[in-house]
Amino acid sequence: MKGVLVKDLYIARSNILVTIVSLAVLGFGLSFLLETSALLVLAPVAATTAAFISITSDASSKWNKNVITMPVSRNQIIGEKFLFYILLAVLGLLTALISCVILACFGMDITLYSLCLYSSIGISATLLAGGISLPCAYLFDPEKSQIVFMMSFMAGTGIITGLVLLINLVLSVKENILLAFGIVLIISAICFFISYRIAVKVYQKRGII
Amino acid sequence: MANAFMVSGLTKTYQDFVLDHVSFTVPNGCIVGLIGENGAGKSTTINAALGLIQKEDGVVSILGREELDGDVKEQIGVVFDGSNYPEILSPRKLNRVMKNIYRTWDEQVYFGLLKQFSLPYDKQIKQFSKGMKMKLAISAAFSHHSRLLILDEATSGLDPVVRDDILDMLLDFVQDEGHSILVSSHITSDLEKIADHIVFIHEGKVVFEKPKDELTERYGIIKCGAAQFDALDRTDIISYRKMDYEWQILVSDRERMQKKYPKALVVPATIDEIMLLYIKGEK
Repeated sequence: MKGVLVKDLYIARSNILVTIVSLAVLGFGLSFLLETSALLVLAPVAATTAAFISITSDASSKWNKNVITMPVSRNQIIGEKFLFYILLAVLGLLTALISCVILACFGMDITLYSLCLYSSIGISATLLAGGISLPCAYLFDPEKSQIVFMMSFMAGTGIITGLVLLINLVLSVKENILLAFGIVLIISAICFFISYRIAVKVYQKRGII
Repeated sequence: MANAFMVSGLTKTYQDFVLDHVSFTVPNGCIVGLIGENGAGKSTTINAALGLIQKEDGVVSILGREELDGDVKEQIGVVFDGSNYPEILSPRKLNRVMKNIYRTWDEQVYFGLLKQFSLPYDKQIKQFSKGMKMKLAISAAFSHHSRLLILDEATSGLDPVVRDDILDMLLDFVQDEGHSILVSSHITSDLEKIADHIVFIHEGKVVFEKPKDELTERYGIIKCGAAQFDALDRTDIISYRKMDYEWQILVSDRERMQKKYPKALVVPATIDEIMLLYIKGEK
């Protein structure tokens, strides 16, 4: 599994410039338009783009087929992709956090409260989007899975809104906003794990030619 | 002689194609050529044997094991048509990937082969020609001390010089009796050079599995006119084909046929001709 992860990190590294430039532009824009900490919502999502670039690259180079003949199980192949996705999300979040801390040092109005809130929203949206798009990448052909990938972020946002509305029925979200988004984060993590199990099951039976 | 690779009754059904109870073996120390026209079932057989597609029926045994686990995969090198490595990688980066995949990965062998093939270490694979990609794939397959090589149309689309280099490497590989090769190709001239056995697949079925020497040294084609054809004993005929000016009849023992029909012209048959007569000929 380590070797496959090394391969994906090389792919991510080759796209890092695009990710950094997009994040810098977004951060600059957000610091004027909204709160700077809102970058934490977008950074993990933007960082995970490399996971889909690697899935597309695997399919186009037929690495998918080659790797099955190597001492790597199908479980490990899927496990690695989910791990890689989380790794990218965390890296994206850390990069955004570091940027926010630096900006705070320069006098920007960034609070711990906003950092926690936007981080949990960002990671929840990323986990939900990945939970939808990653299994689909192994179910559909690359073109369809790219459409799913783009739509999954909208779906993730929709699910978060739905979850917040549901939580609001039990406790007031306005008064317990951090708790509410903490619950959303836990539910998103559970969904991501379930999605991983589904992807493993789908991939076990899938013919790769 | 033990078998490095064995398939028995391998079956897979698609909407428009059936791989029908395919059985053959690759004995240790041998090169077996899997031949057949495009779509005959060569790749389906290899894909099913390697677990890329789910087989419906049949048994596959690789290096004496029916379960294709990590230990078995460590000992097999597979080369498909094309390099099948991410194109942004360079051979040096690929080395870092592979040494984290194969426990038995041998960097020295790998870089030695890259040097032998004059492949640049730091150029991206996407800048490689088809021949260079194939040489890289072969280098990778040789660099983890494989005991069995499986090549699926690996030499298709390569120029004769590169093909010859690769065939020489394959011949070197089987100098060790513990090494074996299964090579699927529709370039039968390559197999005539290197194969010990030929397995011929047609429309998803194994037509024959024979030593190559038996095919090239014993099989023959009788070339004759209509009158001579009518006089032939039908039991001597494997298949026949009516051409513009002659009849071509495939026979399994050309020396015996020459004695039996002294006036007939009996010529040796190439694997290509045998394959053509089986596919296009009548019985």
